[in-house]
Amino acid sequence: MRQNSVAAIALAALLLTPAATRALDETKYPDLKGQWVRVGNPNWAPPGAPRPPLTPEYQAVFDANRADMAAGGPGDVPSWYCLPQGMPMMMNIYDPMEIVVTPEITYILISHVNDSYRRIYTDGRGWPAEGEYVLTYAGYSIGKWIDQDGDGRYDMLEVETRLLKNPRTYDASGIPFHKDGKTVVKEQISLDKADNNILHDKITVFDNALTRPWTITKKAARNPKPRPLWRTEACAEDNSMVRIGNDAYYLSAEGQLMPTKKNQPPPDLRYFKQSGEKRP
Amino acid sequence: MKLAALLVSGALAVTSGAALAHHSFAMFDQDNPIELEGTVHEFKFTSPHSFILLRVKDQDGSVTVWNLEAGSPTALSREGWTAKTLKAGDEVRLTVEPLRSGAPGGAWNVNKIKYKDGGPIAVTH
Repeated sequence: MRQNSVAAIALAALLLTPAATRALDETKYPDLKGQWVRVGNPNWAPPGAPRPPLTPEYQAVFDANRADMAAGGPGDVPSWYCLPQGMPMMMNIYDPMEIVVTPEITYILISHVNDSYRRIYTDGRGWPAEGEYVLTYAGYSIGKWIDQDGDGRYDMLEVETRLLKNPRTYDASGIPFHKDGKTVVKEQISLDKADNNILHDKITVFDNALTRPWTITKKAARNPKPRPLWRTEACAEDNSMVRIGNDAYYLSAEGQLMPTKKNQPPPDLRYFKQSGEKRP
Repeated sequence: MKLAALLVSGALAVTSGAALAHHSFAMFDQDNPIELEGTVHEFKFTSPHSFILLRVKDQDGSVTVWNLEAGSPTALSREGWTAKTLKAGDEVRLTVEPLRSGAPGGAWNVNKIKYKDGGPIAVTH
C-alpha cells in the first residue's frame, strides 16, 4: 500500500511537470554535442558541380548577379551589408555550429555575419496560423526525430522550414530565391554511420525559382577539443563595404568611401553643404 | 590522418577567400592580380573579415595605404594565423586581387603572402 502511494505520488509529480522542464534522455538521441566545423566548399554550385536548376527568369537574375560581381559589385548577396543569411545559407556553416537538443526544441547556433540561431520545434506542433508567426530569415522549423534502424535510439532529425523572409541567396555566389518568398526547405540531419564525428545535413529546397527540387548534402566534422574556441562574428564591427541606396562602396584604409566599379559616380550629396554653395 | 590534424591543417575546410565570406570575393579582379610590397600599418584580426592596412610607396615616392581584405578570423586561424601573426612595421610582399575600380583596396589570402625577404609568415601550427 505504501509502495503504491509512493508510485502514485511520483507519477502525479511527473504529470504535473511542465513539458519544458523535462530532462533530455540522452540514451534516446544521437550525440550532437560539441563544435561542428564545415567540411568542403560551402557553395551550392562550386566549379565542377551541377548547375543550379533555375527557371530561365531566375537564371537571368543569377547571371545579372554574376555580371555585377564581374564589374566589381557585390551581386545582391544580402549579407554583404550585414543582413542575416537565413535558411538555407546559414547551413553552409561558414563558421562553427553548435546543436543543442532538448525534448521539445533543437537549437542550432552559428555566429556568422551575426550571432544567428534556429529553433526546430519537435513538440508535435503543426504550422502556425496567420497572426501566430512573423517571417524570419531563419524561418519556422518543425522537426521530427526518426529511429531508422529500430534500436530505440533516434538517429535522424527530419526538418521542414517555411515562413522565410526575403531577401536571401543560397550562398555568396548570388544564386537567387523567388521573390514570392514561398521557399520550403526540408532537411535530414544525421551522424555518419561509420564515423559519429561526421554530421550530414541533406537539404532539399522547394522554390518557385527552380525547375525542380534541389538537393545537396552538407557535411561537418566535430572538433575534438573538449573546450573549443567560440568566436563571435559581428558583421557591422568592421565591414569594409558600405551600402548607400542600392549602391556598394568600399572603405579606404582611412575610412573614406571608394568606388568598387570603374567610373562609379559618388553618392548623392544633395543634403551636404558643398564648398561655395548654400544649403537648400 | 587523424580528425584533429585535419582540422588544424585546414584540410577539412576550403580556405579560398571566394568561398568563405558574407560577400563574394568575385567582386575583386581575380583575373588580373597585382604584386604589392609594403609595410604593415595595421593588421586587423576582426569580423567579419581580417584586414591588412599596407603602406605602399608609389613610384613618385608618395605613400598610399591599401585596405586589403582576407577571410574571417575563423578561416585564418585554421591556417595558424592569430591576431599577432602580423604587426605594424612588418615588411611583406603579397599577391592581391584588386578592386575593379582601381582604388587602393583588394583581397589576399594566406597562401600568397611572405615577408619582404621571401621568408614565410610564421604561423602557429
